[in-house]
Amino acid sequence: MTNATPTTTGRARTGLLAGRFRRPAGDTLLGYLLVAPLILWLAGTILYPLLSAIRLSFLDVGIIGTGGQFVGLENYSKVLGSDNFWEAFGRSLVWVVANAVLQTLAAFITALILKQRFRGQGLARVWVILSWIVPTVVVVIIWRWLLGTSGGIVNYLLVTLGITPQPVGFFGTGPTARTSVIFINSWRWFPLMAVILLAGMQSIPEELYEAASVDGASAWQRFWHITMPGLQAVLFVMGLVGMLWSINVFDIIWLLTRGGPSAATTTLPVFIYDTAFFKYRLSRSAAASVVLGLVLLAFAVLYTRVMAPRAEEEQG
Amino acid sequence: MTTDLAGLRRSLGVYLSVAVLLIVVIAPFYWIFTGSIKAPQEIIAQVPTLIPQSLTLEHYDHLLASSAFPRYLLNSTIIAALTMVITVVLASLAAYGIYRLRFPGSQFLFKIILVTYAFPSILLLVPLYGMLSQVGLIDSLWALVIVNVTFAAPFAVWMLQAFFRAVPYELEEAAALDGAGRLRVMLRITLPLTAPGIASIAIYAFITSWTEYMLASVLIISDANRTLPVGLAGIIGQYQVDWGLLLAGATLTTLPVLILFGLVGRNFVDGLTAGAIK
Repeated sequence: MTNATPTTTGRARTGLLAGRFRRPAGDTLLGYLLVAPLILWLAGTILYPLLSAIRLSFLDVGIIGTGGQFVGLENYSKVLGSDNFWEAFGRSLVWVVANAVLQTLAAFITALILKQRFRGQGLARVWVILSWIVPTVVVVIIWRWLLGTSGGIVNYLLVTLGITPQPVGFFGTGPTARTSVIFINSWRWFPLMAVILLAGMQSIPEELYEAASVDGASAWQRFWHITMPGLQAVLFVMGLVGMLWSINVFDIIWLLTRGGPSAATTTLPVFIYDTAFFKYRLSRSAAASVVLGLVLLAFAVLYTRVMAPRAEEEQG
Repeated sequence: MTTDLAGLRRSLGVYLSVAVLLIVVIAPFYWIFTGSIKAPQEIIAQVPTLIPQSLTLEHYDHLLASSAFPRYLLNSTIIAALTMVITVVLASLAAYGIYRLRFPGSQFLFKIILVTYAFPSILLLVPLYGMLSQVGLIDSLWALVIVNVTFAAPFAVWMLQAFFRAVPYELEEAAALDGAGRLRVMLRITLPLTAPGIASIAIYAFITSWTEYMLASVLIISDANRTLPVGLAGIIGQYQVDWGLLLAGATLTTLPVLILFGLVGRNFVDGLTAGAIK
């Protein structure tokens, strides 16, 4: 009984206050308190390690607990002077570009397919990202099994259909190994890009398409003049984040090829891992990480300057 | 007549394209699952069989009874569960603070979190290893919980954005006017209303932890503390690969993800995409 009255008056008063919700003085303090645990956690596990990587890159640590002498820029000159580093750098560039092209293409096709009306659409839109949610090691097992030289179905089909005279050792030569890991990684990632693109497409008002149809625009024109501009903001973010996630890919390459054969698939992350834990040169690996970090920072700054959508800038 | 035919042709095209897409994405999973229940001689047969001709559970028996797989499964489950709980607590508190309270500096903190979710973890490999060995956490499951929370939490905060935005301010105002304190409003009203969002970040944290290989491969030394990805990678690396065992392992490793995704997959995809389009 006593409960009913305050609620109604409460609602009435809410109407008056709507739009200018009071900000109690305690809110600011509470805000900091709520955010603090996460920020401290990230400071301890990202910021601090980052700073200690810079420090480590000026020392001569081989395996943990040894060395520790200050050696100045020696690690940097060793890293920047080594062919292995620059070759890995080049492979990372090829990796990022090839993955970006393949995934964007596959993601657009997939998004356009899923955008159509069909029965089971809801289910398909959810389960299409299956390859992205399963552990990388499972992706690796799947593809080593599919592409195997004995018992692998891909080779069986290739030989049976007469496309190749004998089974292909996909991970046996440099070019085939490189192509295979790029395709496998793209297979893992394109569905995620597709569902994000799809969400972007669905946020474009249907009336725009209807109006364009009335004006007699072809499907291609509608795609080019309505869909693409409508996706500008999504594509901008996807481009930056996708590129940073893509250059970071380590486990799928390592588990498929260990960076081989003869370093053909050793991208920078593989190089950093291998230098630290197989060549036992932690400091040199830290120097390579710092160089990579600086390159990515420069890229991110340049990218946001050049590619930022106009409307976005006005909002910010 | 002609429009009917065109419509038929069109819907045929739609279903055909969807079918091709599903084959590309789903068929490989069918292939490992059916492989895992085939007898060893059928697995390596020259002519692969689309439908298993033999049915055996021997690979699963071998995996669960006489390999270290159950141990890996237990370790991965412990780590993923702890990662999930810590990530959900840290991320939902921070999300409430950033999206609801709008205190001075909240936009700056939001930007920091955006930067950290795109941050390449490879840059942290060596220093995290150094740091965790200094504090004596090498070969400890806690080391992996710590790094997995770091990898999962920033993206989780970002995913929560859309869910928090969907809760009307009026509800909170009404509760506040009824005398409930901020903290009570948050715990009793706002967080329960963002339950689908919380569920999807929980899954995200679980999946992130379940998948992590790079740091698990260097932070864990003893076989008894290995996680599933490192343990399975060990089987792949053996001289003579036992495919039956490996396919059974891959199937069992995928199963928990499938179950969780089946429960709240839709929320998860909503969370993934809603933040991206604003």
